[in-house]
Parts: sequence; structure tokens; C-alpha cells
Amino acid sequence: MTNILEVQDLCKTYVVNKRQNNVLKNVNFSIDEGEMVAVMGPSGSGKSTLLYSVSGMDGITAGEVRFCGKSVSKMSQKELAKLRLDEMGFIFQQMYMLKNLSVLDNILLPACQSDKMKESRKETAQRGHALMRKLGIIDIADNDINEVSGGQLQRACICRSMINKPKMIFADEPTGALNRASSDEVMEELAKLNSEGTTIMLVTHDVKVAAKCTRVLYIVDGNIQGEYRLEKYDKTKLRDRERALNGWLMEMGF
Amino acid sequence: MYLRILKKDLRRKKTMNAILLLFVVLAATFIASSANNLITVSSALDNFYEKAEGPDYWFVSINADDVERFQTFAKENRYDYTVSELIQIDSKNVLVEGKKFEYSNTLCLSTLGGSRIFDKNNEEITHVNDGEVWVTNFIFEKNDNNFYEGAKVKISQNGVEKEFTVRGYTKDALFGSAMVGMTRFLVSDNDAKLFNNEENAVANSVEIHTKDPDYFDKFNALELNTIMSFDRPMFKMIYLMDILIAAILLVVSVCLILISMVILRFIIQFTVTEEFREIGVMKAIGIPNFAIRGLYAAKYFAIALVGTLIGCTLSFPFSRIMIQSVSRKIVISGEDNYLVNIGAAILAGATVVFFSYFCTRRIRKFSPIDAIRSGETGERFRKKSFLRLGKTHLPVVPFMALNDIFSGIKSYVSMILIFILGTLLVIIPVNTINTLRSDGLITTFNMVESDHIISQELLFNPNEDNQKKAEQKFSEVREMFAENGIDVDVFQEIMFRTNIKKGDKRTNSLSFQGLGGVTTDMYTYLEGTAPQNPHEVALTYLTAGQIDAKIGDDVKIKVGEDTKTYTVTAIYQSMNNMGEGVRFYQDAKLDYNYAAGSFGMQVNYKDNPDSAALAERKELLEELYPDADIYTPGEYIGYMIGNVAEQLDGIKALILAIVLGINALVAVLMVKSFITKEKSEIALLKAIGFKNTPLTLWQTMRIGTVLLVSVLVGAVSSLPLSMLIITPIFQMMGAYSIEYEIRAAEVYLMYPLIVLAVTAGAAFVSAQGLRKISSAQISNNE
Repeated sequence: MTNILEVQDLCKTYVVNKRQNNVLKNVNFSIDEGEMVAVMGPSGSGKSTLLYSVSGMDGITAGEVRFCGKSVSKMSQKELAKLRLDEMGFIFQQMYMLKNLSVLDNILLPACQSDKMKESRKETAQRGHALMRKLGIIDIADNDINEVSGGQLQRACICRSMINKPKMIFADEPTGALNRASSDEVMEELAKLNSEGTTIMLVTHDVKVAAKCTRVLYIVDGNIQGEYRLEKYDKTKLRDRERALNGWLMEMGF
Repeated sequence: MYLRILKKDLRRKKTMNAILLLFVVLAATFIASSANNLITVSSALDNFYEKAEGPDYWFVSINADDVERFQTFAKENRYDYTVSELIQIDSKNVLVEGKKFEYSNTLCLSTLGGSRIFDKNNEEITHVNDGEVWVTNFIFEKNDNNFYEGAKVKISQNGVEKEFTVRGYTKDALFGSAMVGMTRFLVSDNDAKLFNNEENAVANSVEIHTKDPDYFDKFNALELNTIMSFDRPMFKMIYLMDILIAAILLVVSVCLILISMVILRFIIQFTVTEEFREIGVMKAIGIPNFAIRGLYAAKYFAIALVGTLIGCTLSFPFSRIMIQSVSRKIVISGEDNYLVNIGAAILAGATVVFFSYFCTRRIRKFSPIDAIRSGETGERFRKKSFLRLGKTHLPVVPFMALNDIFSGIKSYVSMILIFILGTLLVIIPVNTINTLRSDGLITTFNMVESDHIISQELLFNPNEDNQKKAEQKFSEVREMFAENGIDVDVFQEIMFRTNIKKGDKRTNSLSFQGLGGVTTDMYTYLEGTAPQNPHEVALTYLTAGQIDAKIGDDVKIKVGEDTKTYTVTAIYQSMNNMGEGVRFYQDAKLDYNYAAGSFGMQVNYKDNPDSAALAERKELLEELYPDADIYTPGEYIGYMIGNVAEQLDGIKALILAIVLGINALVAVLMVKSFITKEKSEIALLKAIGFKNTPLTLWQTMRIGTVLLVSVLVGAVSSLPLSMLIITPIFQMMGAYSIEYEIRAAEVYLMYPLIVLAVTAGAAFVSAQGLRKISSAQISNNE
């Protein structure tokens, strides 16, 4: 397995009212291709900041982040935008979408903006349809975004994150705004994508979500305090995985 | 607490509040100065005429016997009247600062007497010192003359020579407009006597003050030979061109008020909508509706108060600038009517406060949670846009721009209205100016079209063989051209002042006969056929209407001492003397001793030269006639009706600057508000890999597309609207059927492109603000 993401001595400091706030303190970790890594920790521990910093969405104060061997921290804004467009996918807690576009158009938007696929608009639309079909939301393709449920919308966000066939998906509490049933459905989809080879890094508070991952990083006060490795996800052993993970998290003080 | 919230709000939303304040200032300034302008200008002419003690009737006659007859008549009828002498001076005999004096209509020397005359400070001129001269404003400000206070004017005519010092310009009710066709230099009694000799023609200006309703009929029955005759209503028409400028400014002001109001409504609605979440929180914790509304009303009251104060202050100088062009010609007594400014500015401020309170009425309707959801209930009864990214070949950026417009067309309505109005404001004055300068308009001035016009108007003396004098001049010109190898037709319009009668209805009118080979069939008629023999005439709508004459009727026309019967064969239009006119057949025998004057000498080249050759020949003419001015027909109209087109040019530039400024502000405002509103969407797009450039283009294209459509609609509708607006003005001046000069390249290309470029440029610069939004902000946005 090769490293897709490598983080060395990552520091992130915010200055608020002339006071320094060190959110991330010398964070080191790496993620291999095909992994599904969850970041957990108490509120304000720096989980989301870590996700945004390593994905190039936010700048870093010190350290190094390498994505597919390239230094993200040294990239210009234009290079970062291209990287996010072509090689990364993003899912957010709130199902952010452009309100004036239909669900399908929201999904197609990154593909139409990218020149990665070298395909016609029709072919892009076909891929969009295929993704929606795969995630079971083909019926809502032409709907406006306010006409569909949160669960359907988050699945549409997953489709959008997948449309450019990214090497890695970053998800910030992807089930945070969903009910249990929808949350399970979305996580099943993510696990399925992972099993098909997509690397995923996600932030969550939810043990049930984290239990579907292959590794869990536990972060406290901007430092990774520990990691917990799990076997490849198997739906039938979910309860055992959850129980084991819960035990470890309790040990970590979660 | 209100003050604390207000202070914090002002700090936090600096840009939006600054723009809101700016528009309150603009609205207050425009409303206050326009109200002042409206009140001042609408009553200005009547007030001026009253203040000047202008006559109810006025005529000028060169015939001393006729003036004597009038005086007897006036005494019998106990009419109050004054007679003053006008000593005619040939413009060629006048040098201003050593340079030729540019004026080809009748110039007279006159003394004080009759109606009151005012200086630039609206003070009545009660005394003129020897050696000093006062000049009417339109002559004083004519660009090609070199008049200024203290300038030296040398007049030498028929052996008398005197140098005068220009004291200043006058506001002269009788001679203050170029449309009168005659002007005067005001000199002292002694200086006037110096030039009053037998060799100089002296006309009499007679001003009559009477309320006798039968005066006009009685006067016409006298059948006096006059070279000019006006009544009070006609004076208003003479200043129509000046009022036109004021009217255009007025229309512009009203449009600007509308624009300001639309923008204010948009900003207030937008800011209130933006604050719905906070409103929701306040409602949720139990603050009553009136308290919440009061909070916002307090904020807008503070902005309205500051804006109104600034706007009111700015409106004082602005009012003066707006009526400056008119107030230089006539006395405007309401110039300092500051109470109007203050009242109008307060009204503007109150409207803002009312608007803001009105816009907050939605607060009452929504539950706290609705408000937290930004006033959206999520209900939607129709699809947003019909455009689909997957089904179109449009690139992403134009697609998003178009899709946004189609998804929420209502939010673009204000912008569309403002841009259309702005485009119309720019194009309509351009069409008016171009029409006023068009060569074709010459046919409405009792002339036929010609290639060039030489400003060699003839001055006739009663004791000369004037027809012979004119024809001699034509052959001189023809010969001079022949020497240069150019074959030309030379002709000229000779004017008479005639009395016309049909049954018991009488009037007097300017009448025309073409000399030098021009024939009646070369003129334009609206009804009937051209006069074919010496006993036939054509009348203008106005003249025919005054005596109730129709085609086929016989009318009696008195030229000098001869009264003959003529048959009316045609009706035509004329802008001379607001529609007066009689056209005689070219061979009709008229008494040229009574010719009142002529237009410039018209030249037509028989070889139909192209525009380049025409320009060369104009240069040749300028060499051949160094003492004269050479005009194209369009230029000659400007010369006859004064520098209205030049003044309109100035206004056009002012309007263009205002429209561009407003458009740029609207574009900045819209882009800023869109960016504020769409912060989370921009952050999302950045997060999924959109660079700054396509996002900037998206914002710009959205404004650009709306602008393009608006400019197109504005440009297309400008033609019928121009006609709708300009036609009545021309009709008032006597022209019923005008061919509008629409210069497509200028109207449909140049100005729309300027408006597009400046507005889109402003939108683009403003859209750079989205660069500050980072993709990471997505997690901070709700």
C-alpha cells in the first residue's frame, strides 16, 4: 500500500484578538490508498480544522502535507483548486448545494468545470445518472434541492464528490445532520465506495459511523492521542466493531 | 440598547450601510434639487415676463408712416404703448476684439425704453454709460464670438465709427432668444444718436400693453407692414428651446428619483432579509414585533437622517447648476427657494424611513423558526429554471449566470428597470440632438435642401431695388464658382411680412419666395400640390388655421401696399416663428421694397459630389468667402435656432456621466449583495475546486447578461419613445412630420457599448471581493 496522504508536524494557529490559539500542534499521520479513516475527538479538539488543513481548503501555519507525493502546503491557490476539483471529493455536514440548480446539475457541476475526463456533456450526464442510480436517488435527478429529504441530499453530495473520480474523499461529519436511518444509509454508501477502492477521511462524533472505518484517529487539543485499527468493514460484524471501538474510546477518555 | 446595536451593525456591515447611505444622499439630492427645478422652471417664464413688464403685443416696422398710423389707432383706442428706435447695423461692420462678429440675423442698436432689461445678477439696467454696450446673453455666449466683460467692440457704419466696451450680458425678454431672429446691442442715448442718420435703416419697436380681447383683429385690420410681430403666448414658444433643456433635466431628475427609490427599496429589503436569522432569534426569546421593527427603523432612521442632511446640503449647489443654462437667459426669481429643497429632502428621508418600516412588515408574518430559516418556508409551486446543465452545451460559467437569472427573475427586475431607464436617458437626448442637427430638418425652415449655405443674408433697404440686388449677388457667386470650374445652382429665400385675410379673418405671417432658380415644386408639402402659377400659394398649418383657410380657398395677401388674391394649393410645415409661413410661387410679382430679409445663400453643386468632395468644396468656399461662414444645412439650423444642440451636447455628457455613475453603483451594490447572500455557495464552489476567475466571471456575467438585455430593450424602445417625446416638442414649434435622424452606429452601438463596458467593468471589479471568501468558510456559513 502506498501513502496517499502524509502529514508531518502540522501546526495550525489562529490569532483572535491578538491572542494565539494553537488549534493543531505538530500533528503527524498518514493515510494509505484504500483506507477509510475516521477522526474523532471532543468538540473543539481540532477535528474539522485538521480535515480542512490536510485537504488544502485551509492554510497551515507550519509542517508539511503531501497528497500523492506532492506538497499541498507549497501549492498556489490555483493548483489547490485544481487538486480539489480533480483529485479530491468533499462531503459536508450541511448538505451544501447551489439552490438554483437541480439535484443532477449540482452533481454534474464539478465534472463540467473540470477537463479531467475529456468527455462530452452527454457522457457526463450519463455518468451522473449512473452515480445517482447507484446511490438510489435517480428519481430525484430533476428535483430542486428543497424538494428532497436530507438523506437523499447527502447521497447527492456523495455523488457530487464522486463525479470526478477522486483519489480521496474528505467528509466533515457527513451524517451529522441526518437521522439514524438516513445516517446508516449514507455510511453504507461510503463504506461501499471504500470497498471499491476510494480512500476516505471523515470526521465524526458518532461511534456507529466510525465503526465502519478501517482506522480511527483520536484527537485531543490539536494532538493525535492515539489510533485504533479495525478490520475491513463487514456488515455482519458491526456490533462487535462498535463495541470494541467504544471500549477503546472510553480508554481514551471520549 | 438601540444605540449599542446600531453602532455594532454600522461597524459590521460597513459596505452595505455605506452604499445605503450613498443612495439616500443621492435620492435626497436629486429629489430636493429636482423639486426646486420643477417649481422654478415651470413658473419662470411667466415670472420673468411679468418682472420685465413685457408687452402683450409687440411689432417691429421699418415703415415710419405705418408706425404713425398705429399711434393714431392706439390713441383712439386708449392703448398703452411705447415706441423705441432700432438702428440696423450690418454684422460685417462690427468687430469684437478686432475679430469679425459672427451673427447673420438682424442686429440693431437700441436704447433703454419699453420693457425692463436685467443684468446677469438680475438687477435692472436703468442707465447705460456712453461708450458702453450690453449684449444679449445668447450672443454673449456664442462660442465663435469673443465677448467678455470689458471686451472692445468697434462699430463702423456709413462713416460713423465708435469703439464700445462690453459691460456685460442682458436678460432681455424681447430680444433674448435666437428664435426671434433679431437682437440688439444696448447703448446710451448719445451713442444711439451718433448712428441714427439717414443712411442707416431705422426700425421702430412698438410694445403694446392692453387686455382688449379684440386688439388682434383691430390691429390686423390696420394691415401694417411689419417685419416682426409677436403676442405674449408666442414669447413663451420662443424660449421653448431653453425650456426644452430645463425639461430634459427635469425628466432626468424624475428618472433619477425613481432609480434612487428602486435602489433604496432593494437595499432595505435585502438588508432586512439578511437579518432574518437574528430577527428569528429575537422573536424566539420573546422580544415583541414592534420592538424588533423599531430596532431596524432606528437604524434606517439614523442613516436617513444623515443622508438627508448631506443630500439637502448638496442639493443647493446642484439646483443652481441645473437651472444655470436657463437662468443665464431669463430672470428666475425662485433660484434661492431653499425651503423647497429642505421640504423635498425631508420627504425623501421620510420615504426611506417609511420604506424600511414597510419592508419589516414581513417580520410580523413569520414565526420565529420561519425567520431563522431566512423567511423561506421551503414551499415552492413551480420549478426554478428550465435550463439543465446536462442538456446544454453552454460552458459552466455562462450556464450558472443564466440559470440564476431564470431561477429568480424577480430579484433582477429592479436592476433591469434601472438599466433600461439609464439606456433611454442616454439615447433619447442623442436622437433629439442628431435630429436637431440633421440636414433634412432644413426643409421645415422654409428652405429646400442644398449642399452648402453661405451666411450672406441680405439686408434690404426700402429705397433700393432689392430683387435686382439679390439676383446680382447670385450671378457673382455663380461666376466665382465657374472660375473654379464648378457648376452650381445658387438660390436664396427672401422673407416678407404680410397681412393675410380670408373673409373677416385676418392674420399676419412671415412669407417666403425663393429667388435664383429654386421652384415651388422643390419644397416639401404635407397636403395638396405646389403652387403652379403666380396666383397660387401654400400656407403652413398655423397660418391656414389662423384664418380658417383650406386647400382651394382664396385668400387676400397684402405685401407692401399691394393686396392680391391667391388660391391656396398646399399646406406645409414650418418651424419659422413657431409655424408661421406663406410660400409664394417663384415668379409671383412681389414688391421687394418690402422684403424683410433673407436666409443665407444656398449652393447646390450640379455634379453631385460625394462627402469627401463636399468637404473639400466647403474649404474652397471658406477661401472664396473669408468674410462669411459656410454651413451644411444641419449646421445652419443650429445657427438659426441658437446653440441649443451645443447645450444639449453638454447635458448629454452630464446625463451619460450620471447614468454611468448610477449603473456602476447599482452593479457594485448588486454584486456586493449577491456575494454577501451567496457566501456559502461561493465557499462551496471553491471547496469543490472552482478557481477565483470563473467565480468572478459568474458574478460579472450575471450582471452583464441582465445589463445586455436591458440595454437591448432600452435601445430598441428608444426609437418609439424618442418619437413620443420629441414629436410634441417639434409640433409646438410648427413641425408636424419630422424625419428622425437615428444614427445606428452611435445609438445602437457606441453608447450601449460604453454603458455595457463601464457597468460590466464595475461589476467585475466589485466581484473581486469574492476572493476574500475562503473554501474553509463553508464550515462557518449557515
